[in-house]
Amino acid sequence: MVIKNYQELSSLEIDTLREIGSIGTGNAATALSGMLGCPVRITLPEVRIMEYNEAIDWIGGPESVTAGVLVHIGGQLNGIMLSVQPLEFINIILDRMLSNSIEDYGQLDELQRSALLEVGNIMISTFINALSGLAGLKVELTVPSLTVDMQGAILTVPMAEYGGQTDYLMTIGGNFSCDGHELPCRLILSPDIRSLNFLLRKLGVEDD
Amino acid sequence: MKMTQAGNELITYALGSCCGICLFDPNVRLAALIHIMLPLNMETGRKNTMKYADTGIRETLKQMEAKGARRPRIVAKVAGGAKMFAVSGSGSLGNIGQRNIESVHKVLRAENIRLIAEDVGGSVARTLSFDPTTGKATIKSYGKPDIVL
Repeated sequence: MVIKNYQELSSLEIDTLREIGSIGTGNAATALSGMLGCPVRITLPEVRIMEYNEAIDWIGGPESVTAGVLVHIGGQLNGIMLSVQPLEFINIILDRMLSNSIEDYGQLDELQRSALLEVGNIMISTFINALSGLAGLKVELTVPSLTVDMQGAILTVPMAEYGGQTDYLMTIGGNFSCDGHELPCRLILSPDIRSLNFLLRKLGVEDD
Repeated sequence: MKMTQAGNELITYALGSCCGICLFDPNVRLAALIHIMLPLNMETGRKNTMKYADTGIRETLKQMEAKGARRPRIVAKVAGGAKMFAVSGSGSLGNIGQRNIESVHKVLRAENIRLIAEDVGGSVARTLSFDPTTGKATIKSYGKPDIVL
């Protein structure tokens, strides 16, 4: 079945995406563990298809400020992937990698921004690698980019890019725990509809 | 789109590449605030009119006129159209904000609406509120002082 928008996804298809999310986050956790030099455990990730406003509430309201890392996906799969990094997440990374911490996003210096960008990049890349390996797709990623601003505006980037097609996003949420700290992991994947169909077909999900 | 004649403040949060457009007829104190995401409506069926600059502005003007606003009196204030991520070589992504601004300008000009103030472009998100009792628009951004238009 070819779907025209995200709401048409069947439960089998959502299950498939959830499984991918699970494997992807597992890989991302392994990568994070290597970078931070401590074991990272993950809870079972939750993959959901959310409407834009719901997704905003999920990450904590439109006006709260966070850091977001964005990567463009090209090749056999087109889309955008975003990693949203709340302050507590950032502080654990900074503490582990650079032995410092911040109280406000405004204090981020160049080196810290670069560290966050790299962490976001590696998590996204490992996630996409797992996905493309599983589906046998050739995928290219652009150079990542980091911004610190209101979440509502960060989330509109994938929305605006594919806004003509859908008002829905795919969200992957799980908690990492490291050193006794719980780290919320929030990834947002927004493939375009053609790519999503292609991906589901490649994964062998046929239900009609 | 939100519209008020009672003088309540209108607000729209976190405009990134989106544009917020305040339309105001001071004579009848009718104010509308539109939050558009994309420059042109190319949907079949054109269901989500308020998501796009062209259909959003036109539809709002129509509704304002139905409530007694007159076009020569309506003025506009615009904010938004930022570029949130500096992504190299990614085609339209970085330009959506700019395209939104251009489309808003074009539609306002075509509809003969005076654009009296704007704060557009740049790379920061904006929260836009409009006070119909004073006709002033306030823009809040992260890490920057508020701007009053």
